[in-house]
Amino acid sequence: MELFLQQVFNGLTLGSVYTLVAIGLTLVFGILHIPNFAHGALYLIGGYVTLVVMQSTGVHYFIAILASILVVAALGVLMERLVFNPLRNSPPIHDKIAAIGLVLFFEALVQLIWGTEYQRMITPFDNNISIAGVSMTSQRILVIVVAVVTVFLLTLFLKKTMIGASIMAMAQNREGAFLVGINANAVAMMTFAISGALAALAASLASPINLVFPAMGHLVILKAFVVVIIGGMGSIPGAIVAGLLLGMTESMGATYISNDYKDMIAFLLLIVIMTVRPKGLFAKGVY
Amino acid sequence: MLKLTDVTVRFGAFEALTKVNIEVKEGELVVLLGANGAGKSTIFNAISGLYKPAAGEIEFIGKRVNGYSPDRMVKEGTSQCPEGKKLFPDMTVQQNLMMGGFVHRRHKDQLKTSLEEVYELFPILREKKEHAAGSLSGGQQQMVAIGRALMARPKLIMMDEPSIGLAPLIVEQMFSIIRKINESGTTVLLAEQNANAALKIADRGYVIENGSVVLQGSSKELFHNDAIRQAYIGA
Repeated sequence: MELFLQQVFNGLTLGSVYTLVAIGLTLVFGILHIPNFAHGALYLIGGYVTLVVMQSTGVHYFIAILASILVVAALGVLMERLVFNPLRNSPPIHDKIAAIGLVLFFEALVQLIWGTEYQRMITPFDNNISIAGVSMTSQRILVIVVAVVTVFLLTLFLKKTMIGASIMAMAQNREGAFLVGINANAVAMMTFAISGALAALAASLASPINLVFPAMGHLVILKAFVVVIIGGMGSIPGAIVAGLLLGMTESMGATYISNDYKDMIAFLLLIVIMTVRPKGLFAKGVY
Repeated sequence: MLKLTDVTVRFGAFEALTKVNIEVKEGELVVLLGANGAGKSTIFNAISGLYKPAAGEIEFIGKRVNGYSPDRMVKEGTSQCPEGKKLFPDMTVQQNLMMGGFVHRRHKDQLKTSLEEVYELFPILREKKEHAAGSLSGGQQQMVAIGRALMARPKLIMMDEPSIGLAPLIVEQMFSIIRKINESGTTVLLAEQNANAALKIADRGYVIENGSVVLQGSSKELFHNDAIRQAYIGA
């Protein structure tokens, strides 16, 4: 029972990170129709900025996360302005090629500046606590709590504010959104900023558990794509449910089947769900 | 108020509009008559800034507005209730209407007043305000689309075939509402295939065929024009 509960918490932690990354990915896809393969680069930079800010200035973990969110959100906006916006009217393969180029560029850049070593991110939350007889670091609890609060605030923003609703409007009917006076560029930049902010937050939360290294974005982004597809491309509730589902399945599978097959489980899950529901769990709308 | 001079719109090699000249004066209700694919919607979308004219001039309230972005045109005072309605299907009726007032989002009081006015014009929408727009009947969705366009408080409202697909009884209501909107001071540019009903409420009209204006005149003249009677009125 204790082992099972332990895995539930692990699954929730993992799922929270997947969800945060996948929401950013699904927003960009749902609203701008860009499958952003460069999302992993945003995640990567997010991890490094938090680490470097903490190491070089000694500020609190939370302040470093905040700095990372701002930097990566700005980077997301730059990506949109300099790369994806100019490609908006070109054949759809172009933005995919550009995205892969961005990944390669940022990985090389990170290696050049910060080296290739695996680095630990030390936070004030590495003490052990015990909940319901299960012992874990408080970092894991932090991940879950922050993810829940973030998703809640994001939903509130998208549903209850005019600016947030303009993003939803763009996803539901592009021309209709233009005709009520919503600026396409403003929405595109905002979407990329949110997407980048979420990637930075996810990376900053997961790094103390998973280490910081130049390839840290790879597996996470592959899993996030699996989550987006399972959840239904462009759906936020889909990303939440599928993110948690994947986290839980991986954590359970690693324990009760085999740890070696852990990363395969995501893709097995993908195949099974695509066979039963080809459009994903939530095929409709963004929320 | 609105003046199109020799406006030409091309999509690749296809010329959708050829040297269109249209003028709408303040307070008028003007109708564009024409069959499907004649170019009525293209004219609206060129005015709304969705398409850029390849040649010609668009002037709105004394200002050249060629190449203005759609959001800028809404701020200038035009608003379109488009073909196919283009609502936000998963949002509620009220959210759709509020989005119509997006450019006035900082003036909360004004939005509230506008919303009240729309609900007075279409009482059924007040009852359905919490329903998803996509779940409404065609006629009700059309009301949402018109209401959403009105929420922008336009000086000029363009309505693209508001009677399409509606039951005859509702068509009549719709036209009397359009007239009411015009009488309350908003200039109206209407695109219609239902010439009979449209000419009854309009001041003037243009007949569009193959992307050009082929005929224009007062509603009375057009109504008694033989060619129009044959083509659009069927009498």
